Amino acid sequence: MSPRDRGARDDDLDAEIQSHLDMAAKERMNRGESPAEAQAGARKEFGNVGIVKEVTRDMWGGGGEQIWRELKYATRTLLRSPGFAAVAVITLALGIGANTAIFSVVNGVMLRPLAYPHPGELVLITSQFPALGFDQFPVDAAEFLEFKERNHSFANVGAYYAGAVNVGAASSPARVPAALASASLFPTLGVAPEAGRWFTEQETLPNAPPVALLSDELWRTSFGGESSIIGQKVDIDGVQTQVVGVMPPGFDVHDQGIRLWQPLTLDPDSVNSYRGGHYLNLVGRLRPGISLATARVQLEPMLAQWTQIDGGTANATPGQKGFVHTPNVKTHRLRYDDLLTDIVGSAGRALWVLQAAVFLVLLIACANLANLLLMRAETKHKELVLRAALGAGRGRLARQFLAESLVLSVTGAALGLLVARWGLHALVLSNNAGIPRAARIGLDGHVLVYTLALALGTGILFGLAPMLRLNARAMSLSLREAGSRTTAHASAARVRRGLVVAEMALAVTLLVGAGLLLRSFEKLTRVDSGFDRSNLVTFNIVLPAATYADSLRRVRFFERLDEQLQQVPGVESAAAMSGLPPLRQVNANDTRFEGYVAKPGIPPQNVDYYNFVTPNYFSSMRIPLVEGRSFGPLDGATSPPVAIVNQTLARLFYPGQSAIGHRLQPGGIADTAKWYTIIGVAKDVKQGGVDAKTGTELYMLDNQSPTYLGYAPRNMNLVVRSTLATDVLSPSIRRAVASLDPALPIVGLRSMDEVFEDSLARPRFLAELLIIFAAVALALAAVGTYGVLAYSVAERRREIGIRMALGASEGGVLTLVLRQGMVLAVIGLVVGLAGALAVTRVVRSLLFGVQPTDPVTFAAVGLFMLGVAFVACVVPARRATRVDPLVALRLD
Amino acid sequence: MTKRHAPLTRIELLQGTLDLIILQSLRWGPRHGYGLLQVIRTLSHGVLQVDTGSLYPALHRLERQEWIEASWEQSENNQRVRVYRLTAAGRKQLAVERSKWEQFSTAIAGIFAAPPAEEV
Repeated sequence: MSPRDRGARDDDLDAEIQSHLDMAAKERMNRGESPAEAQAGARKEFGNVGIVKEVTRDMWGGGGEQIWRELKYATRTLLRSPGFAAVAVITLALGIGANTAIFSVVNGVMLRPLAYPHPGELVLITSQFPALGFDQFPVDAAEFLEFKERNHSFANVGAYYAGAVNVGAASSPARVPAALASASLFPTLGVAPEAGRWFTEQETLPNAPPVALLSDELWRTSFGGESSIIGQKVDIDGVQTQVVGVMPPGFDVHDQGIRLWQPLTLDPDSVNSYRGGHYLNLVGRLRPGISLATARVQLEPMLAQWTQIDGGTANATPGQKGFVHTPNVKTHRLRYDDLLTDIVGSAGRALWVLQAAVFLVLLIACANLANLLLMRAETKHKELVLRAALGAGRGRLARQFLAESLVLSVTGAALGLLVARWGLHALVLSNNAGIPRAARIGLDGHVLVYTLALALGTGILFGLAPMLRLNARAMSLSLREAGSRTTAHASAARVRRGLVVAEMALAVTLLVGAGLLLRSFEKLTRVDSGFDRSNLVTFNIVLPAATYADSLRRVRFFERLDEQLQQVPGVESAAAMSGLPPLRQVNANDTRFEGYVAKPGIPPQNVDYYNFVTPNYFSSMRIPLVEGRSFGPLDGATSPPVAIVNQTLARLFYPGQSAIGHRLQPGGIADTAKWYTIIGVAKDVKQGGVDAKTGTELYMLDNQSPTYLGYAPRNMNLVVRSTLATDVLSPSIRRAVASLDPALPIVGLRSMDEVFEDSLARPRFLAELLIIFAAVALALAAVGTYGVLAYSVAERRREIGIRMALGASEGGVLTLVLRQGMVLAVIGLVVGLAGALAVTRVVRSLLFGVQPTDPVTFAAVGLFMLGVAFVACVVPARRATRVDPLVALRLD
Repeated sequence: MTKRHAPLTRIELLQGTLDLIILQSLRWGPRHGYGLLQVIRTLSHGVLQVDTGSLYPALHRLERQEWIEASWEQSENNQRVRVYRLTAAGRKQLAVERSKWEQFSTAIAGIFAAPPAEEV
């Protein structure tokens, strides 16, 4: 029955009863009663019109209509106390809104499946080198082909390598994230191009004509979304490349925002000649019906037999002469992870912690609302007793309370959705690469269902509280003592105090968690990065392989760019380097150390980071040399090859002696490798991030590389030291680059401070949100304490009045009330700290330099909490001291 | 109309008999709620007292079960009244209820008519 029908029926019933009364009155008048007598008599005979209406209406329909009526009644009642309703709705809107926002993130990042068919079958395949301490490392090309051929667990295996390319007209190319992909990658992922086709196997062979697939986004932004693009040639890194297809919107691997796909060229005939290039990411699709666990077991024998493929040198140690990288059980294992789990990675735990935290906030809000409703029920006591006496059953009254709380919670949830929308907007805006899969975050059906569940759940939770007052005994007591305020209402008071203790405890637990993460974040920002990152601007240049095929040309370009930059007014110095801290991937380079004998238990001959730099690298970065000398003008392209190592490398390979003068061979497997002499030891730089352990690092001169290694990097990072602001400096930098090669795009032009800030985006995000949640929790708990105490003072006014009349001092009364409140706070604090001790272990993996039981955090939270509780208690306590005994005793 | 006088004894309605009484009272023609009260009182010689708090819910419930239907009509006193009448389903239901009641009252009568055991 619709509300409109119901309204019509209400009118009908009114008319029906009125006609009954009229007929009865008329008959009485026929018998000679006066109109007034007749009407009164008819009414008296009829009975209670309201109740008759109410019980008649009950007959009209199923539960749905009754609920509707209850809700309407509840809304009317609530509108009569708008203050209470507003406080409740706003509290709920914030609580539910925050929950919805965080759940949207959890849902988008972790719960929504990857955008491939049967995403559960997709597995990330990586390698492990236990001796080097690498737990998840890319896979070599030969290994990929062998694995693809020999395994029986995967229906298909694809490989890719992510990087970036310059796309478009030579005059103004765009730099886009790109990947080299095996032809098998697309069938593995199971996503068809929205136009055109995938690569063929032939196109991945050497000397095949160059082809590419575009992402939908690149196609629309750079090529106008014209369908004629298929078959056309575009300029990619200076090479005319034919576009063969466009992938559908949102297609990506491992959340890297890849915009362009090119064939990964692998020559099956020569790929086996060098097996040390571990650079491929492998994705496999499990055969239908085979679980990841089954596959792991199935693949174990394959790993054990791998070494038989080419004679087997599994017992050799990396870096040793004659060592061949072949996967084996001991030193070179393979690892299989669910793709989604791997993409979400460490963000998963952080998000669950946030979800738990924000849920605690909602629980505290519920406790507060339960208390509010409880106190409201107390003040509405007379009304309740009256209604009960008039025949409204306990179930009926309970329904009304529930209806009231549901009206509040659903209204709160509706507003909460707005809060969530706004909050999500802020979250996604503030998130710079902090959360994986951020593009998937939004308010979808799942989120709406979650919000509805929260609304109903909270409504029932805090709506139940006043029902505690509705048990039969309380009802009969109230009837006898209706109107009297002397009853202690002991059970209700106990419930209220219990709720306050629970709120305090939850808030303390949250505060401890937030405190730990805040301290972690502070420690992260204070980590010595090893160089002076203030007043430093950085950017990245990739020289196209087509136009810079010659290593010497590359070296010359960066030397001249260095010179150009030094001449910009306001620039102190400039340098180029292949690896930029703080987000470098370990590249684990085999390196032979002269006179070093590889033995079990000592480090293998391998260096975590190679860094090719221009001579003034150390002075521009302000990295102090702890020993020896820096690169100098005399270290030319053909002078004897020199190297500088970091402290960690010197300690590891030359313990108890000076590293200076020792020799090593970069890329030490090939026989043609040249001996480099160590001329200096530099202070450690946090290449892999401030929270990572410092790896071993080897610095070589870019200009000596073509001579001694036959190679020079195309991809270099430049740093410019200047006190000028980044945006003041950037036009000059662009001019300098353009004067050498106008076709080169400049990428990632930012201050080094920003680069470091971004690297801490996730811990900052987590700490900030937790602090906000903890603050809200604390505020709610304080308000709750205040409310309960204030109510108790109001309730005990008579008692306080009598005490004061009998000579109790103001101080005495103050202490009395304060003690009542602080006892609750202390119990809450103790329970909360104990809870925190039990719970903070969960966040251990998110902490940096702080123990989950950090005494400083626990003590600070305790003191802070007591302070806030004291303030919350003092206000009602002071009000108690102002009770006028005469007025108080005259009450009731 | 008979002059209203207080009955000597009033009997509380047995559970479930109100439906039967209403259906039976509507058998001879449509009536409004007030009229039904009068009829029941008169026919039971003032013994059965149905209060409005039972009558109206029962009427609305029977209406919902579609055993009776209601419409607004003009009364003899030119008043708008809500009038209830039996439906076909209501007639069937009345037959069912009635036969149940007859069985019940025969059974009760049998119990009262039986001679004490020791006299057999």
